[in-house]
Amino acid sequence: MAPPAQAHRSPSPSQPSGKGEVSDLKSQLRQLAGSRAPGIDDSKRELFKKVISYMTIGIDVSAVFGEMVMCSATSDIVLKKMCYLYVGNYAKVNPDLALLTINFLQRDCKDEDPMIRGLALRSLCSLRVANLVEYLVGPLGLGLKDNNSYVRTVAVIGVLKLYHISAPTCIDADFPPTLKHLMLNDPDPQVVANCLSALQEIWSLEASTSEEASREREALISKPVIYYLLNRIKEFSEWAQCLVLELVAKYVPLDSNEIFDIMNLLEDRLQHANGAVVLSTIKVFLHLTLSMTDVHQQVYERIKAPLLTLVSSGSPEQSYAVLSHLHILVMRAPFIFASDYKHFYCQYNEPSYVKKLKLEMLTAVANESNTYEIVTELCEYAANVDIPIARESIRAVGKIALQQYDVNAIVDRLLQFLEMEKDYVTAEALVLVKDLLRKYPQWSHDCIAVVGSISSQNVQEPKAKAALIWMLGEYSQDMQDAPYILESLTENWEEEPSAEVRLHLLTAVMKCFFKRPPETQKVLGAALAAGLADFHQDVHDRALFYHRLLQYNVSVAERVVNPPKQAVSVFADTQSSEIKDRIFDEFNSLSVVYQKVTTMSKIGFHH
Amino acid sequence: MISQFFVLSQRGDNIVFRDYRGEVQKGSAEIFFRKVKFWKDDGEEEAPPVFNVDGVNYFHVKVVGLLFVATTRVNVSPSLVLELLQRIARVIKDYLGVLNEDSLRKNFVLVYELLDEVIDFGYVQTTSTEVLKSYVFNEPIVVDAVRLQPLSPAAIFMQGTKRMPGTAVTKSVVANEPGGRKREEIFVDIIEKISVTFSSSGYILTSEIDGTIQMKSYLTGNPEIRLALNDDLLIGKGGRSIYDYRSSTGSGAVVLDDCNFHESVRLDSFDVDRTLSLVPPDGEFPVMNYRMTQEFKPPFRINTLVEEAGALKAEVIIKISAEFSASITANTIVVEMPLPKYTTRVSFGLEPGAVGQRTDFKEANRRLEWGLKKIVGGSEHTLRAKLTFSQESHGNITKEVGPVNMTFTIPMYNASKLQVKYLQIAKKSSTYNPYRWVRYVTQANSYVARI
Repeated sequence: MAPPAQAHRSPSPSQPSGKGEVSDLKSQLRQLAGSRAPGIDDSKRELFKKVISYMTIGIDVSAVFGEMVMCSATSDIVLKKMCYLYVGNYAKVNPDLALLTINFLQRDCKDEDPMIRGLALRSLCSLRVANLVEYLVGPLGLGLKDNNSYVRTVAVIGVLKLYHISAPTCIDADFPPTLKHLMLNDPDPQVVANCLSALQEIWSLEASTSEEASREREALISKPVIYYLLNRIKEFSEWAQCLVLELVAKYVPLDSNEIFDIMNLLEDRLQHANGAVVLSTIKVFLHLTLSMTDVHQQVYERIKAPLLTLVSSGSPEQSYAVLSHLHILVMRAPFIFASDYKHFYCQYNEPSYVKKLKLEMLTAVANESNTYEIVTELCEYAANVDIPIARESIRAVGKIALQQYDVNAIVDRLLQFLEMEKDYVTAEALVLVKDLLRKYPQWSHDCIAVVGSISSQNVQEPKAKAALIWMLGEYSQDMQDAPYILESLTENWEEEPSAEVRLHLLTAVMKCFFKRPPETQKVLGAALAAGLADFHQDVHDRALFYHRLLQYNVSVAERVVNPPKQAVSVFADTQSSEIKDRIFDEFNSLSVVYQKVTTMSKIGFHH
Repeated sequence: MISQFFVLSQRGDNIVFRDYRGEVQKGSAEIFFRKVKFWKDDGEEEAPPVFNVDGVNYFHVKVVGLLFVATTRVNVSPSLVLELLQRIARVIKDYLGVLNEDSLRKNFVLVYELLDEVIDFGYVQTTSTEVLKSYVFNEPIVVDAVRLQPLSPAAIFMQGTKRMPGTAVTKSVVANEPGGRKREEIFVDIIEKISVTFSSSGYILTSEIDGTIQMKSYLTGNPEIRLALNDDLLIGKGGRSIYDYRSSTGSGAVVLDDCNFHESVRLDSFDVDRTLSLVPPDGEFPVMNYRMTQEFKPPFRINTLVEEAGALKAEVIIKISAEFSASITANTIVVEMPLPKYTTRVSFGLEPGAVGQRTDFKEANRRLEWGLKKIVGGSEHTLRAKLTFSQESHGNITKEVGPVNMTFTIPMYNASKLQVKYLQIAKKSSTYNPYRWVRYVTQANSYVARI
């Protein structure tokens, strides 16, 4: 049966807390607890379901704890499971009541059905109550030795749960060495995998205080352990394979023979349909070959196809995770992916977070042979209805232009953007033309002709407006009406909301003054006066500075404001290569998606 | 290692919520939902599948309108968690037959039972429907599939064709049939998603086929299966295939760029006779994914003409030609085209005698929409639209419209020509002859014609 529909709303102060329902449940549970009537289990099931459904939607049903425990004396496994779920949820906040459950859970841990032994042991360890840990040690010890592998897998994770409730109890009971033994000997691969997970967590946490734990943690990446796990790799589930491969990526082989052996062994993992397995394998390959330049490059070639296949199969979310990894590889070695640029073309229906990554990749792989096609494609996106992507595309064109391939054609395209008469396109293109002029002053003539025809009234975005004003100042000798445009902009000083624009305006007027003094003198006075009266500290200070500079010596002022300029050769990269390297070290982790290293963000307390 | 798992409805209600490690606060579902709903970051309208709020990492995948979410504080593999979320959805679907809000709500106890076995203390234990069967005891309450929204990919076979046994793909792998007996059958679906971009002059700029051979087995006793593909199938553009001395063009051979396989697939004789052998586990799974950029004949040609027709007016003519066999019918076709933002009115003209077609001008995002219920192979359809503008266009109207985007489904058609030549089931007895369904379908992924 379904929980009542009105109860699905998340509880809010205006809604009933479900108190009435809970006391109802309480009395009904009580009636059933002692009954041994036939069909009683079915009625119990319905009631238990109700309790669980309230729990799910956030109604506090801890009040029926006692009754639930009373009802749990049953051989019906479905009932037992619901009861375990309930107990696990509320034991932590009701430690006294939790004690009530210990009895029946301990009894169930000795049941003849391994299913029930396992379930009871899992619930027992999930109580998360510190003063009950003494009751865990015995059943856990038995569980680890159980002849049923299901019980052992549960027990191994149980040890880890115990460690988190009370680390000393876990260590004193000598559980970690037992797990180590199981890891290296158990026939069941999931038991082995769970031992590995548990030991990694325990020893990483212990390592800060214990030398021995630190040594043990290192021993996990020793040759015998790694080889043992690798030899069993195909027995493991795909998830456990990821776990093992993550460990292997940390292993440092002695010589290149070892490296090739491992790579040959794992070669077919690259054909796995599970993206996580493939990425873990790639991490191993990349890390193993880091010092072998040629082989490392071959690895890039080898992993290209599988990565591209994963990107285009599966859900958009999975494909995004893989694409993020492809992205950092492309950024590290763009030349290897130069011929694959068509794979980075954006598709109509892709979410913008995917398109953004692709645009960055397209920018990175542009070279002599493909720039024309890439820029043509990007220009299509610039006319796109998706405005943020249209903007990014124009920026991408600009970045490619700054990389110096086929600048001629690109400048033409950029100038065409200015003529498209879409305000956001004009805005982005103006910013780019400004950057281009700083790098290629030789293009000023062509650019200025087009920029001069843009009406400053059509440019509203601060960055674009500032760029336009910068060009007006810098090239005022080539733009006939520069002083007059600056004049009208100065007249609207009060209406200009952006301080950045006002700062640029001050400087542009100064520059223009030195180039065309008679026409600019009046504007300069107005601009300085407006600047001095400006409420914004930076604008005010700059106006004051120019004012005093002019008072002091006009030719010095000219040298300060209009010095001979050198073309910028390289613009500063936003991300240092050191950080890129460290992100690469953390391949197949969130660092890649966030493009941040663990220590920079709050993610991660251990690896 | 994950801390919590939960499923939220479209409205943000918790349908199931499981806390595995108690490291992340209880209100995480609300924090997550608010963040996703009001996502606005750096021009992105849609929240990415992974993000971090106050040190908690949130992962989510959307499945049939539901949000499957996991949280963790650890720097885990995003691929692993997203893959896992997708897999959990699939396991639940295997059990419930139909996955949607209603079926989840009716079966939440069963779902909890599954979740307890899939993950323990944040570590994945198993996602195999097969293995889970022995641990899970609740019987699914099967919801009525008819009144439910169809979900892909199973549902694509249910549209407009009687050859397909519609209900079978929404059948639970554990529930018994009403008659008590299970029907022995196996489905093999070849699902291809095609992406094509045409230039303004009709040339193909880029094209790609992303295909999956999907299997769903209801066979008892897990017999071994052999699946034979085209024997001249080539894999890898030179270098990796043993056939690479042959010329790949002109021979008519199917050349895949790359492919990958499900864990259960054995490739012992794949290099020799292009045969896959496997013992299919219960439930639905992809046997093989493949990708192809070899040229292929696109199923549709799109011709678009945009002309100014006096001041403040323009005319758009879109012609769709179906270039496939007349025995095949495409369905649920939608053609879309962005119009200039100063468009105020659109009047449509369909061809005489048009049936099952609809037209719409979506004012909110200035988009023309043309829907066709079906298109028979070999036919052509034309739409005329007269646009009225509120301001004059700046000379070049073609820069203000398009591109034309098309979505469609074509059952029993595959663009790659990859085929399952035969599907052999290891025989238990001479009378054992289960139903086998091999079905093909092609869908548009991104089918775009520039103007």
